[in-house]
Amino acid sequence: MESLAHNDVINLLLKLATMLLVARIFAEVAQKLKQPAVVGEILAGIILGPTVLGMIGPDFFEFLFRSNPSANLALDGIVQVAVILLLFIAGLEVELHLVWSQGKSAVSISLLGLVVPFVFGFLTPYLFPELFGLTEEKKMLFSLFMGTALSITALPVVVRILMDMNLFKTKMGMVIVAGAMVNDLIGWLIFSVILSFMGKSGNFSLINTVGITLLFTIFMLTIGKGLLNKVLPWTNKKLAWPGGVLSLSMAFCFLAAAFTEWLGIHAIFGAFLFGVALGDSDHLSEKAKEIIHQFINNIFAPLFFVSIGLKINFFTNFDFALVLVILVISFAGKIIGSGYGAFRSGYALKDALAVGFGMNARGAMEIILGLIALENGLIDEKIFVALVVMALVTSMTAAPLMKWALNKKAEETG
Amino acid sequence: MYKKLALAIAFSPRMEALIAEARKLIQIFEGELILIHVGTKTPELEAQLSEVLSRHCGDLKRIKTIWKEGKPAKTILKTCEEEKVDLLVLGALKKEGLLTYYIGSVARKVIRKSTCSVLTLIEPKIETTHFSKVVINGTELEITPRVIARGLKFCKAEQSTQVHILNEIKLYGFQMATAGEGTEAEVSNTRRKLVQEEINYVQGILDSLEPTDLKINIKVTAGKWVVELVRYCEFIEADLLIMGDEQGLSFIDRLFPHDLEGVLEVLPCNLLIVK
Repeated sequence: MESLAHNDVINLLLKLATMLLVARIFAEVAQKLKQPAVVGEILAGIILGPTVLGMIGPDFFEFLFRSNPSANLALDGIVQVAVILLLFIAGLEVELHLVWSQGKSAVSISLLGLVVPFVFGFLTPYLFPELFGLTEEKKMLFSLFMGTALSITALPVVVRILMDMNLFKTKMGMVIVAGAMVNDLIGWLIFSVILSFMGKSGNFSLINTVGITLLFTIFMLTIGKGLLNKVLPWTNKKLAWPGGVLSLSMAFCFLAAAFTEWLGIHAIFGAFLFGVALGDSDHLSEKAKEIIHQFINNIFAPLFFVSIGLKINFFTNFDFALVLVILVISFAGKIIGSGYGAFRSGYALKDALAVGFGMNARGAMEIILGLIALENGLIDEKIFVALVVMALVTSMTAAPLMKWALNKKAEETG
Repeated sequence: MYKKLALAIAFSPRMEALIAEARKLIQIFEGELILIHVGTKTPELEAQLSEVLSRHCGDLKRIKTIWKEGKPAKTILKTCEEEKVDLLVLGALKKEGLLTYYIGSVARKVIRKSTCSVLTLIEPKIETTHFSKVVINGTELEITPRVIARGLKFCKAEQSTQVHILNEIKLYGFQMATAGEGTEAEVSNTRRKLVQEEINYVQGILDSLEPTDLKINIKVTAGKWVVELVRYCEFIEADLLIMGDEQGLSFIDRLFPHDLEGVLEVLPCNLLIVK
């Protein structure tokens, strides 16, 4: 087995330490300013990357992040694992029984909140390809990607906002959470199909890949879940706690991820679906969930979010017109879609607007989506930067906008 | 509270025990008893029934037997509506050789569609059951205040010794993980707040009711509430679980698993469904 040399190890450890430290500082600042930690962590990456540090201290930046290929490769491996784990907890957060218990209004809010932004995101590049510098053959796939990238609500950001506003337990809060969960699930399914269209180096033909993806999804949510329900009581009883359930769930998460990567879709789908199946099981205790969340959220997530900024220069790739277009369609699509869904389910106009604003928060998921598209050559740096900016802006504005809509309503009703 | 009590009988070996149990409930609630049998009325069956009735209900004046033919579930439901029954008593089935109980397909249909409350007994006894340890579902649902009110009335009439009201914290793990972005003090504050909110919800309902001298214990769980409810009943070896049922579900809603189904699946103890 090859191993890292003395210098590589030092460089890797310095990278990790710097990333975690700066991410922590900015996450704390973000929270003091009542913003989600993710926002701070992404900004930390932009500051450590070529955009800021690369400008003001190019030598130091070069030494830390560019000079050592082996350490870079090792870091890339760690970041890959971080993305897989992020998707794993994203899946864990989807609680299907909560969705069912919210019934029709959750389904209508989330479907409209998915379809409308998808249509907006799809039609804009499809009808105005020159705006995005698209060639004819890339147009269809790019439009599909854009539609998906605009339609996934950031569940963790939404939950945080609802908890801060003391709305989590209300009917509206539960409907928003359930809606965001359905969003997540369907959004990722669509994206997995798009990925198979991109024709990454898989082992199967296109039709087969799509078929196997759907089969795997159904398998995980039925038989897979059933198996977990059989195995978990045994692990809880016989193995160390929480060690047993933690290491086993990680192991199976990686196995599922390896399987989907082998299929030619992406490792993250396996992790996501395994997360959904595990989270929906009757026997995974809430305490275990909390522990899994904590260690991924605080160690792996910051590494991933910082790594985004390290890859790309946000200044030179910042295209104002593009950012504006993406912001407009993302706001319009989500607020109109989810808001109308809520309105249709009987919410007052201002409440429906608040639901739309809440669902508008985007975050990690579009960034991960964008990153995969970037790596596959589907989008360029400029569009990726615009997507990250969109995620930041929608996350940061969700809480103030919701507060505004609800205050307006309170004023009216006195 | 339950003035008209109906018992569905099927001339099974447990019929006598079920009649004895129904008799006991009639005594507590001072109501009248209606026996419903779906099937052909034959002299042998009649004789068999009157023999059992003379043993247990000899002194009962207000008792009526209704013989009807037709589809079992539909006929039982229709009769209950016609007779304006308040409480329908059913027997559960037992898995052969095992100590687990389940609800047959007829009973399941009746429970779902019934407009009156339904009491399902897993192990009816001739010497009758005393519902001493009772668990009431206190999960925040529209029907919960009513379930608690009716449940406590039942417990009072039955003179239960322990009443446990269970409420859940929704998405506890996720909420705590989100709260984990704060300092240690903030996190433990959130944890306390989450628990306290759920206790307050149940306490609020209790405060709105007449005070009772029942021993009431409010318990907060995290996780899926149906699973937790069943687990808790098994853990304390409850005699009775009282819960509500969502009425008026549309066809679309029916497609998805509902909370009641989860309980019917496992049936940890006797079950009273308040409508």
